[in-house]
Order: sequence, then C-alpha cells, then structure tokens
Amino acid sequence: MKRVIVSIDGAGKIYHLRGLGRKMSVAALSDFTLDIFEGEILGLLGLNGAGKTTVMKLLTGLIFPTSGKVSVFGLDPREPRAKNSIGFLPELPYFPPHNTPYGALRYYGLLSGMSGSAIAAALPVVMEKVGLAPHAAKKISEFSKGMLQRLGLAQAVLHSPELLVLDEPVSGLDPLAIHDMRALISGMQAEGKTIFLSSHSISELEKICDRVIIMAGGHKTLSVERKNWETAPGALESLFVEAVRR
Amino acid sequence: MKYLYTARSVAAETFRESVKNRFFTVFAVFAACAIYASLLAGVMAIEEEARVLSDLGFGLMELMTLAYALFHAAMAIPREMETKAIYLVFSRPVSRPAYMLGKAAGLYLLGAFMLAVMAAIHLSLLSLRGFPPCAAYFNIVACIWLKIVIIISLALFISLFSTSPVSTMVISAVIWTLGHFTPEARFLIEKAGGFSGALLKGAAWMIPDLQLYNLRDAPLSASGGWFQVFYAALWALAAYGASVLLFRKKEF
Repeated sequence: MKRVIVSIDGAGKIYHLRGLGRKMSVAALSDFTLDIFEGEILGLLGLNGAGKTTVMKLLTGLIFPTSGKVSVFGLDPREPRAKNSIGFLPELPYFPPHNTPYGALRYYGLLSGMSGSAIAAALPVVMEKVGLAPHAAKKISEFSKGMLQRLGLAQAVLHSPELLVLDEPVSGLDPLAIHDMRALISGMQAEGKTIFLSSHSISELEKICDRVIIMAGGHKTLSVERKNWETAPGALESLFVEAVRR
Repeated sequence: MKYLYTARSVAAETFRESVKNRFFTVFAVFAACAIYASLLAGVMAIEEEARVLSDLGFGLMELMTLAYALFHAAMAIPREMETKAIYLVFSRPVSRPAYMLGKAAGLYLLGAFMLAVMAAIHLSLLSLRGFPPCAAYFNIVACIWLKIVIIISLALFISLFSTSPVSTMVISAVIWTLGHFTPEARFLIEKAGGFSGALLKGAAWMIPDLQLYNLRDAPLSASGGWFQVFYAALWALAAYGASVLLFRKKEF
C-alpha cells in the first residue's frame, strides 16, 4: 500500500466577488475528496471552470478552503514545511522579461530557503534537465512559450520537492514542446517524484497518468485508473464525456 | 532570521526590477535634462543664480523621485498579482510580513538610488557654475528621502485595497500634497468647532506632516534631525503594520 501524501477531505471553496454595490458568491468547489499516493502521476481533467485550478491553489496554500480539510504530507498547506515539499508550475508562468533564466531561478531558490552555494550547484543541473542550458545567457524576453514553460518547470523542481503540482503544463505548446514536456514529467516520476497535473487534453493525460480524476461543476465525478480506460471502449474520452454529462 | 533573509531577497529583486525597467532610463535622462535646464532659470535670476539653481534642483529631484517611486509602489503588488508571478512566491515558504517588508525596502532603496544619481547630476551642475553646495545639502537630500519613505509606505498600503494603480497614485499624490499644508490645515481646523471640527481633527491625524522635512525653508530643529527620522520611521511602521494586517488573509 503506497503512502498517502496529499489528502483533501470534503473541501469546499466559495469565492466572494464584489461588483458595483453587489456581492456575489460562487461555489468553485463542493465536497471535494481526494488522496494522492506517493510516486504516482495523477491527472485532473475537466472543462473550463470545473475547479481544477482551485484544487491546485488549495494544495499550494494560495487560497484557503471554505469548508473541509486539506493536508499535504500531514501538514496544513500554508505551513512552510509543507510548501518546501511542493514544486508548483502555474498555467502560463510569468518571469520578468529583462532577467536571465539564471537570475530568475536564483531568486526563486533564495525564496525556497536554499543557500547561495546550494543554488549554484543546482542551477546547471536543473537547466540541463529542462533543456535550457544552451539558452542560459539569453534574456527571458527572447524566450518562446515552450522555453518559458521549461523555465517554469525548472523553478518548480529547483529545490527538489517531493510533490510537483503542474497546472496545464502543456497549455499552448507546439507538438514538439508537448512531447518534450511529457518526457520531462515521466523522467521526474522515474526520479521518485509524485506528480499532480491538470489538463484539458484527454490524450495527454492518457499518455502519462496512472490515474485520472474527472471534475465537473466543482465536483469530483469520476476517478479512473489506467487499466480502466485502457480496457474501456472509447478509452478515457468516452468515460470523460459520460462523466461530465451525468 | 529566515524572515530577514526572505525580505532581503525580495528587496534585492524589487530594486533590480525597478532599475532594469525601461522607464528608469527615460526618467534618468529626463531628470538630468530637467536639472540642467534649470541653468536657464538661474541665468535669468542674475544675482540669485546660486539659490535658484539649488532650489530648482532640489524641487526637481524630489518630484522625479516621487513620481518614479510612486509609480513602482502603486504597481509593485498589483502587477505581481495580475501577472500571477505572486503564485511562484507564495507557493514557497515565504511569509507575508517578510514579503511586504522586502517590497518596501526595495522601493526605499530605489528612492535612495535615484536621489543619489540626481544629487550627483545636481552637484556637477553647481560645480560647473562655480557655486559650492549649501552646508545642509546632504541633510536636505536625506529629508527628501525620508518623505519618499513615508509616501512609498502609504502607497504600498493603499495599493492593497485600491481598485487600480492609477487610483493608488492619485490618493498618494493627494496625501503628499495635503502633507505639505498640515500646519495651515491644523490652524483652520482649530477654528472650526463642533462635529465637523472633531471630524477634521481626526482626519488630520491620517495625513503625515511633510512640512517637517522642508529644510529649504526651515533649518533643522535642535534635535539635529532625529525627530524627522523618528517621525518617518513611525509612519513607515504604521503603514507596514496595516499592510501586513490587510495582506495576511489575502488569497491569490
């Protein structure tokens, strides 16, 4: 039995939106329960507005649950020890364009509590791993979307976290960049990391995930393991369509 | 210790980003041109050339630093939230008070750097015209910086609840302007009685007295400037405390 490293128990999230003299509440997540096991690649699949990013933000402590409980390595996600165990790649990450990749990564290394010497040792390794070593001297403003995504992954793995949370890691990438990103993610699993990623792309998740959670309207509608979609007629797509139309 | 380490990293990054911004070069060139353009006004002043060159220079230094620092203070946090760069910060073990301190310290440093550059330009102009700088030159520059520290701290606080960077800049600029008229305002408030007088008295406490730092008009008091330092530190601390309270539960 593998160790549970992330546990979400009946979590709910309500966003309060304020307009001109109006206050509106939107339930982004309702009674959401999920366990993530050590070493697996778990995918989160859903339509726009299904609540995928909300789940990721809850795990990384960027937002707080309105109800229920979230724990990462047995800790509250807001605790520094929990945050140190997570590497987060948001959708379309932003880096100051005048900076170099080394400069940006150095800053995030310092924020992760790494010493100057630890950063200096980790930088070339990480840059090589994500395939940015030949572009180390360039400014970020010269980077393509694929290179930015690689840099995003580099900042997520720089401090050697046990859990990687990747929000739409292949969003907007060309087929070759998607192929490379897939190889990177699989390589990280081989290193023993646990990976939790969200995507709109059914085929992408089918290729790399061990298990997929399907979300609709802020709810978990289905949890599918690889062996289930591999034997199902119409594979993961038919299970997804059925689940979101239910 | 970790708190200071994080604050130092955020401060260094904030300073670096502000200086590498393309607007910085535009501001620096414009400031240099404006300070040197005061030569014209100096020549027209004939016998008072030294005083005109000196006063215009200080005024321009203050306004340029204020404009650039305010621009960055108003944008610093909203921009990180808008670009989602803040996700990469707070998904790490970064405490919010340390982040706020780092942002403020980086902007204070930016103000000091801009003043140092412009003071060098101004001193070169004075020396070109053969005028020695006044005895209180560096005290005056230090007082300008203390004013900038107060207004940056307030702008950072306002940016946490204002609807846009433009409104932050406008509110801060209004506070800046009112801050130079607090003695006059207090005199008028004393004259007003009743409920409105009490209300105005309360409101007056929300505006820093920036006239304290106007050494061009009044020399330093017997305290030798320590009161001004203490007063600025108090305002910066109060604004920092209020910002931390507001930022503590903010979600991204």
